[in-house]
Amino acid sequence: MTQPILLRVSNFKAYVWDVDDINILRSHHHICGILTGTLPHLSSQNIFLGLPLQLMPEEAVLLVENGIAVLVDDPSAHHTPSPSVLKSWKEARLNDVRQQIALTEEKGSIEASNPDRAMSENAKRKRKEREERRARAKSDGVPCIPAEHSPSPRPTPENPSQTTVGETPDNTIAMPSGSYTVNIPASSSKLEWYAPRSHISLTIAREAGIWLYPSTLQERARCGVFRDLWEKGYYMGGGIKFGGEYLVYPGDPLRYHSHFVASVIEAPDAALRPMEIVAHGRLGTGTKKAHLLCEWNDETQVVSYLSVEWAGFG
Amino acid sequence: MQNHPSYPVLSQLLAKYPATGGALFQVYNDLTLAQRWTDVEVLDLPACKRAAIKGQRPTTDTDRGPSICVVVPCSLSESISTSWLRAAFTSLDPLPSEIYVAITSEDTSTVYYKISQGIVKPPV
Repeated sequence: MTQPILLRVSNFKAYVWDVDDINILRSHHHICGILTGTLPHLSSQNIFLGLPLQLMPEEAVLLVENGIAVLVDDPSAHHTPSPSVLKSWKEARLNDVRQQIALTEEKGSIEASNPDRAMSENAKRKRKEREERRARAKSDGVPCIPAEHSPSPRPTPENPSQTTVGETPDNTIAMPSGSYTVNIPASSSKLEWYAPRSHISLTIAREAGIWLYPSTLQERARCGVFRDLWEKGYYMGGGIKFGGEYLVYPGDPLRYHSHFVASVIEAPDAALRPMEIVAHGRLGTGTKKAHLLCEWNDETQVVSYLSVEWAGFG
Repeated sequence: MQNHPSYPVLSQLLAKYPATGGALFQVYNDLTLAQRWTDVEVLDLPACKRAAIKGQRPTTDTDRGPSICVVVPCSLSESISTSWLRAAFTSLDPLPSEIYVAITSEDTSTVYYKISQGIVKPPV
């Protein structure tokens, strides 16, 4: 029996931080979610996003109900590290930094001893011509005119392994000077002080106050419709681009276009305006899809479907 | 309306369902005169509290053969529901694979949408 996947809940939203879990959810359970992670320094990021994966509440509900996943309250899973754990974490980080600097030095010394190594044949030839021209100009007494593409001077490597005794809070570990990258792992699961408590059912999670969905008829209807479509083997994505709740794909969205845009109708006698049929039907047909009206019956817990398309005449 | 050529065919059902009389009249005329449907007859759908229209659509090049279709008229101002749509299906004998909802507006525009029961893929 495989371990259930941990869904890390923060502010009533379920996130997946481990890439392997994201893979399993997609390939074994046809639950896609959306990546929502951005990089701290760049603006206008909306095309290429990374971890974490955010799940729709209906997706999280289905996974927990099916025993595939459990809910974890993420904030309370991060405990305060003990002094010894913190010390070993700092030492590991310092070692990583020292390794990086050592590699940079090694690379620098290799390039210094063999400056042509990185250049292409063309570049080497041009550099040689430039140097010859400069040498001739100098001997002719003509002022040296800088060539258009003079290579930028290589930065003289400092001696990065000199450690400076900086002002550190505990004054025990000094960071070396020189440039290095600080790696912050996306997933907390490898941190020694991360101890998640699993809530194995929605009821338990609700009692613990970390999960509320579904609470209303509309939310129950969405869960019911989502589950029914999922059990039929469809992949679901968000429907906002096509004016519906979900896009319904016959297979992985990376390989297929969706055939349907689905709306959730919360009850058999819920008021429906004819204009909605016009809007949904025409937009669906105009985008090579059909609109799916998914009616939830809260008493029988059954979903009934009606497919809407423009008639093509009239 | 009484002097209109369509009136004799529709008079009984117009009297039975006065609330939807306007939509019925408009759609019947559109189908017979503008859409050129043939073999047109009106049906009584008590479950939907209105009359429906059955007839033969003119065949297009892409159709496989002549198609008998049922049209349920309804006005933009009405409030319907999915149970209403499913009742239209169950009231019809034989059970059709699809029905058409004809939605009328006050400027006499009529739009037709095909409704199928279940998950039915759009044509490629």
